Amino acid sequence: MNSATIVLKRSLIYGALLALAIAVVGGVIGGLVAGGNGVLSALVGTAMAAVFLGITSGSILLATRSRRYEAFSPAFFAIVLGGWVLKFVMFLALVFLTGRAPWVQPHVLFFCILAAVVGSLLVDVIVVARTRQPYIDEPRSAVTPERSDS
Amino acid sequence: MDATSIVAAINGNIATVGYGLAAIGPAIGVGIVVGKTIESVARQPELQGRLTTLMYIGIAFTEALALIGIATYYIFTN
Repeated sequence: MNSATIVLKRSLIYGALLALAIAVVGGVIGGLVAGGNGVLSALVGTAMAAVFLGITSGSILLATRSRRYEAFSPAFFAIVLGGWVLKFVMFLALVFLTGRAPWVQPHVLFFCILAAVVGSLLVDVIVVARTRQPYIDEPRSAVTPERSDS
Repeated sequence: MDATSIVAAINGNIATVGYGLAAIGPAIGVGIVVGKTIESVARQPELQGRLTTLMYIGIAFTEALALIGIATYYIFTN
């Protein structure tokens, strides 16, 4: 198992908890500022940022954990960078679809996305700084050497 | 044709230029991060775990700029 797995898992878990907190706080503020539309915009904005930032660590985790692929093989980068491009196309489509929707409170939505993005970066930095990770990974050999009993 | 005439002849939504700028920077950044990670793993394969973590942090910071840049559509068009 790659030693980066534990960092990516923690980043996903703490990022989800932070997104939950931002959704609650943003929902309350959005509700006070703009009523039901504000709450909805806060929830949508936080969900968009949390899901799209989570896809980064999720795709690396998926590519790393997959036993079929050696780390840093072309398949690894196909999953990670393909997920990145797909995410941005989806994000762009969502922005244009919801940009002029009548229920969107643009400022509430934008500031929830901003808070979730900045908060997620903070969580990532804290997780990476605090997680103990060995410098050297055990190399994964394609063929397990046979043990001789003689 | 002078510069003023060229600028005056441009029409369409100027926000598309903003999207282009928001996409160019992170694209270059992610390319550099991933390329340097490949170089590093090629030199020292036993460090791939730590390099994966550092690559993740690099990509996360770079894509944050792109996400914020695209999300400005909400406040600049309303």
